[in-house]
Amino acid sequence: MTSTAAIPVTVLTGYLGAGKTTLLNRILTEQHGKKYAVIVNEFGEIGIDNDLIVDADEEVFEMNNGCICCTVRGDLIRILSNLMKRKGKFDAILVETTGLADPSPVAQTFFVDEDVRAKTKLDAIVTVVDARHIEQTLAEAKEAREQIAFADVILLNKVDLADAAALERVEAVIRRINPLAVIHRTKNSGVALDEILDRGAFDLERILKIEPHFLEGGHHHDHNDDIQSFSFETTKPMNGEALTHWLQMTLQTKGQDILRSKGIFDIKGETKRFVFQGVHMLMDGDLTGPWKDGEARRSRMVFIGRNLDQDELKRGFDSCIAA
Amino acid sequence: MTITAAPAQFLATDAFVTAAAFSGDTAALALGDGTVRLVAADGSEKAIAAHDGSALALTATADGFVSAGDDGKVVAIGKDGAATALFHAKGKWIEHIAFSDASGALAFAGGKDAFVLLKPGAEPRRLTHASSVMGLAFDPKGKRLVTAHYNGVSLWWPGAENPSATFLEWKGSHTGVVWHPGGDFIVTSMQENALHGWRLSDKQHMRMAGYPTKPKSLVFFAKGKWLATSGAESVVCWPFDGKGPMGKSAREIGPQGSICTVLAAHPKQDLIASGHADGSLWITRFETDKTANVRPPGGEAVSALSWREDGNRLAFGCEDGAAGVLNFEPVAR
Repeated sequence: MTSTAAIPVTVLTGYLGAGKTTLLNRILTEQHGKKYAVIVNEFGEIGIDNDLIVDADEEVFEMNNGCICCTVRGDLIRILSNLMKRKGKFDAILVETTGLADPSPVAQTFFVDEDVRAKTKLDAIVTVVDARHIEQTLAEAKEAREQIAFADVILLNKVDLADAAALERVEAVIRRINPLAVIHRTKNSGVALDEILDRGAFDLERILKIEPHFLEGGHHHDHNDDIQSFSFETTKPMNGEALTHWLQMTLQTKGQDILRSKGIFDIKGETKRFVFQGVHMLMDGDLTGPWKDGEARRSRMVFIGRNLDQDELKRGFDSCIAA
Repeated sequence: MTITAAPAQFLATDAFVTAAAFSGDTAALALGDGTVRLVAADGSEKAIAAHDGSALALTATADGFVSAGDDGKVVAIGKDGAATALFHAKGKWIEHIAFSDASGALAFAGGKDAFVLLKPGAEPRRLTHASSVMGLAFDPKGKRLVTAHYNGVSLWWPGAENPSATFLEWKGSHTGVVWHPGGDFIVTSMQENALHGWRLSDKQHMRMAGYPTKPKSLVFFAKGKWLATSGAESVVCWPFDGKGPMGKSAREIGPQGSICTVLAAHPKQDLIASGHADGSLWITRFETDKTANVRPPGGEAVSALSWREDGNRLAFGCEDGAAGVLNFEPVAR
């Protein structure tokens, strides 16, 4: 079977009023030589008439596969499958979620549905954040915290309306929830589009390194931060079998609380890196490109989630180090 | 019968073929580029620009075809190619369509609404649902309509003064539906690579699982005694004579290897045409499981199949746009 290249899909999230629509309008009107099909949730908000704009109802469906947190976007499965019948008419797809949406059903759709997997690939989750209001929003809305936790790219928007000290504070709060995302400070959602599109954030081949941004000390603890992240590292090679078993067990038992996970591992006896990523209980992992000559081999991984027991995770990670 | 795929006519298209149908001697193929291609009995072709987007669904009617598309339009197309818009809901994608030969009723669905035209030219009646309609089918008399959606199916009498639905529940996303030609069973395809069904006499559930991919094409044949299904590396057939498939096992027929993607049952004989993910097309006699390859593997998956009423022609289309009409006219010896 010959298969055509998978179409990249960018998911755009952000709390109400953060600047998603402004960003969408920019993507749709700027000259960038690419055609985007855009799946929006409120047709009226985009002031552009374009037959590649599709109106969606966010229909979150539970899967009967014995995985209680496994939900998918039924509308997205239908729309993506049908959009792919218009092949050659567009280069990439953008999915806008409502301001109150939990991003996991969208992300899980790309892991679970075979038709979506066959024809498209999740490129990145981009979250737009209102720099002025985010602290209050985070305190009030768990959806806003989840949107940051899931992000690969964050636009810290409306920075012109916030002072420098506030921006530092906000960035620290974001980092505490998500140490992996790339943060861009923007006004009017102004960012070079290649910073948010075609990132390959879910492409195992392109996850070459994980560099968690660690917090510097001195910040007060924010009790609204129910979402935390922990990263682990070792320079000793890992036992591949033990690691796979531990990752599967951990996601199976704690997957409801683990929003995202990612890791790059040096497996004993392997010349290639083992790269892994997960969304809740669903995971994707493979041996990808070889370690380069002279490159320091090490294993790093990050969990982002709620109610995580750092000590237990650390013990699990350490137990996978090859004897 | 020896199957000889005698002179075949191939169409030049590069768009995804979404559906195929025959009305009388004329074949129609609905395409992802919004056109509907007609092939007359003499081989002459016409391309009808029916939709601004993709033609997503197609059905044959008494005197031609009706297509539906992601431009929100439902278009009647005569065998001569004359197109008339029957319905237009801007912004809606009309993804499913069904016509009843018995009653002349036409049904289609877009988003959470299904619409029924009881007679040609009648005003569409709207049937609203709590979630998107993902499939619809008429009962054998064309008086009742079943719609598939999240967590079950709804049974409607669209001709009633104020139609209301009887809801049959089964958790999960039901992505397609067929009604048994005897009227006794309803079977849905599900998101979880399984089928679900109900025996209407007592609402008894039936569950048919074990498919490696989603079973999307469901076809009753042998007067409703069997249901042929796609989604596996063979054609999986479930017995529907008597009380239904509960407790019985399926029969697997046809070629083994490439996932079956679409099916069509011969209108006169015990033959199943099956299209596969590797682009191959086969015809299998159910009783003997003798199978003949009528299109070799190559290109993308077969996505549409339809027999002519007399069973002498088979229209097919593929995801990569390969399409044609095969001729099985008996040859004088």
